[in-house]
Amino acid sequence: MDFLLSQLIGFGGAFVALVSDPLTYLYLIGSVFLGITFGALPGLTATLAVTILTGFFGNKIPLDYSLIALLGAYVGAIYGGSYPSIMLNIPGTAASAATAMDGHPLAKAGRGGEALGLTTTASFIGTLIGTTALLVFVWALLLVSKNIASPEKALLALFGILLSGALMSEDLVIKGWIAGLIGLAMAMVGLDPLLSEPRYTFGWSYMLSGFQVVPVLMGAFAIPQIIAGMRHTQRAKLTQLTGRIVPSFAAVRRYLPTITRSGVIGTGVGALPGVGEDVAGWVSYGVGKTVSKEGDKFGKGSIEGLLSSETANNACIGGALIPLLVLGIPGSPPATALMGAFMINNVIPGPTLDPSIILRVVAILVLASFTMFLMGLFTARVFIRILRIPQTVFLPVVLILTTIGSFSVGGGINDLYLMLGVGVVAYFMNMLAFPIAPLVIGVILGGMFDEMFRRSLFLSDGDLSVFASRPAAAVLLALNLALIASQLPPVKRALGRIRRRIV
Amino acid sequence: MDIHDDKTVMRARDFWASLLLILVSVFFIWRTFDIPLLAGTQGGVKGVEWFNSAAIVPLGVFVALLILSVALLARSIREGGAALALDKVGLGWNPAEALRFCTLIVIFLFYIVALVPRVDFIIASGLLITALIYGYHSGRPKRMLLATLAMTVSGLAALILHFPQSEWNAHDDDWIALGVWLALTIWSLWNGRGDPVARVTPVIAIGAPLVLICAMAFAFRQNVPNRSGLLFSKIEYHYYVTLAPMWRQ
Repeated sequence: MDFLLSQLIGFGGAFVALVSDPLTYLYLIGSVFLGITFGALPGLTATLAVTILTGFFGNKIPLDYSLIALLGAYVGAIYGGSYPSIMLNIPGTAASAATAMDGHPLAKAGRGGEALGLTTTASFIGTLIGTTALLVFVWALLLVSKNIASPEKALLALFGILLSGALMSEDLVIKGWIAGLIGLAMAMVGLDPLLSEPRYTFGWSYMLSGFQVVPVLMGAFAIPQIIAGMRHTQRAKLTQLTGRIVPSFAAVRRYLPTITRSGVIGTGVGALPGVGEDVAGWVSYGVGKTVSKEGDKFGKGSIEGLLSSETANNACIGGALIPLLVLGIPGSPPATALMGAFMINNVIPGPTLDPSIILRVVAILVLASFTMFLMGLFTARVFIRILRIPQTVFLPVVLILTTIGSFSVGGGINDLYLMLGVGVVAYFMNMLAFPIAPLVIGVILGGMFDEMFRRSLFLSDGDLSVFASRPAAAVLLALNLALIASQLPPVKRALGRIRRRIV
Repeated sequence: MDIHDDKTVMRARDFWASLLLILVSVFFIWRTFDIPLLAGTQGGVKGVEWFNSAAIVPLGVFVALLILSVALLARSIREGGAALALDKVGLGWNPAEALRFCTLIVIFLFYIVALVPRVDFIIASGLLITALIYGYHSGRPKRMLLATLAMTVSGLAALILHFPQSEWNAHDDDWIALGVWLALTIWSLWNGRGDPVARVTPVIAIGAPLVLICAMAFAFRQNVPNRSGLLFSKIEYHYYVTLAPMWRQ
């Protein structure tokens, strides 16, 4: 109880400091608006919103304002994806793919206003559920993580890459792992972290400092979107928005159990390293379909189906920040971009993170979700107008944004070459169904994995049992091995037999 | 085989992807042996053992990549990917898509490699925005080619006239790019009479880069590409010499 009280007092202090600063509102309103716009425009994603703002705000303003801008955009973009899902039947972001299944039939049935209003409310409550979990669990985990040493950190980094590879891959798991390994390989370029031995620099001095995070993020997330989106498309038919947007209290109360359940699921999925809002949305949708009384109506215009995915994808935000802040392992692709912003500010997320930053993050998330809620309810028609902008018009501007953002972070033209190179590779990887998120997570965690792995071996004088001799390390090693083994054909066959026997 | 399901097509593409990945892994494993693995001196540190050698993790990464690539190749062959690999569908060849992709890459290359370092950012970006919207909004191949030509002419002029970094401050390539931009804008307005996208393009092409570069340079006080560019040098001069003293007073 004392623990919770101290948490609330700390949060209260951070919250008051935030609301009493007029500049907070400037950054918050601007970034949430930009985030919803990015989410609403099909072809732009939440990850891209956070990545682009990292280039702009990452290290140019004090960290507090930078976090307001990035978290505001993150919350706004995940929510904003629901607009085209409901009004156009085109998911604005991958996280809103499940939303379209019920949102659009509702809009076609003349219940678009109701769908948008409830989605906004559910996204708001979902973000608050995730944020509460962040406030409570991050501290408990931080206490545990104080005992984490080099072997556990190395195994955690590996687990994050393997898990994101396994869960983010739309085709074969092996492709997700290959993407993660390519990211790890990219992180090996430059001076090695222990001995300063140059690796794969090919005599180019720029490569000595390794691949910079922001150009890699911009290249991996922005360039493929731009290449894929610069094409003529038939304009989708915008469904007429009818009905009241602000939901009634009775309706919110009626769906509160669904919202709460989906919020908890979203937070839990988000807390898994490397797994994003899209997975959270689908998992919650699947659970909702199984447990809901109107499960048979899912996909045909069910409010419960709509709220299952929309609540979960916003709740995932708080969940995704738990592994990021506790362990330095991003919980979702946008959190990867957020980690990039921390890194260019010389703030290393993980057990050594200043606890006041965590309280500020929680306070910002609460304010951002509230801003999103108000904007969603009262300016929804503005965002619906934005849906009319063709992607061939806004994507060239995105290219300019990424160019100037990449250039200004590193201050060199070489960063732009890197951005373009990574972008072209990422485009082909997308085409071949290799997921991009594990690659970026590999680039970000690669340095940590390399350093921690070798440091563990150095301290144990080359004894490999260091990775199994401590309880936490043994558990993590077992998880890594289980994850790899689960994809081996004999194990898969055996698991299939067991599953069939149970069913 | 006339009708190919998506899975078989994907396996055919996996066949080529895995071959490429095998080559890349083998190349980098070979390069990793340049870094001393067993006992030796690394980065000026003597007595480095195998377990803290700078080569140990990259070697593990590339060997793992090689193993996974071979596994992907095996799966692709087993599921019929190799049989379809030389087929047009297996290669992923689509002439319209190839034209779109290649023209876009040429445009991006000239913008990043030739124009951004050498030409004023507002001019280079304005030209890029105009070329991309004009070239790709309607999806007509002729427009794509014309947009690519506009970027190629400006980019090549910048590269030929001022290739070395010591000459990047010169302005004659800025004038050429500005001329091409104006010509393309007039052409697109003439051909797109009545099209709201054509009308709004010049506004976006001027406004977006202008606002962005000014925000970056004066609000965030950050480094921006080509400060000595034709337009930005004037803006910067008047900001510091004309406007800033006025505000101070």
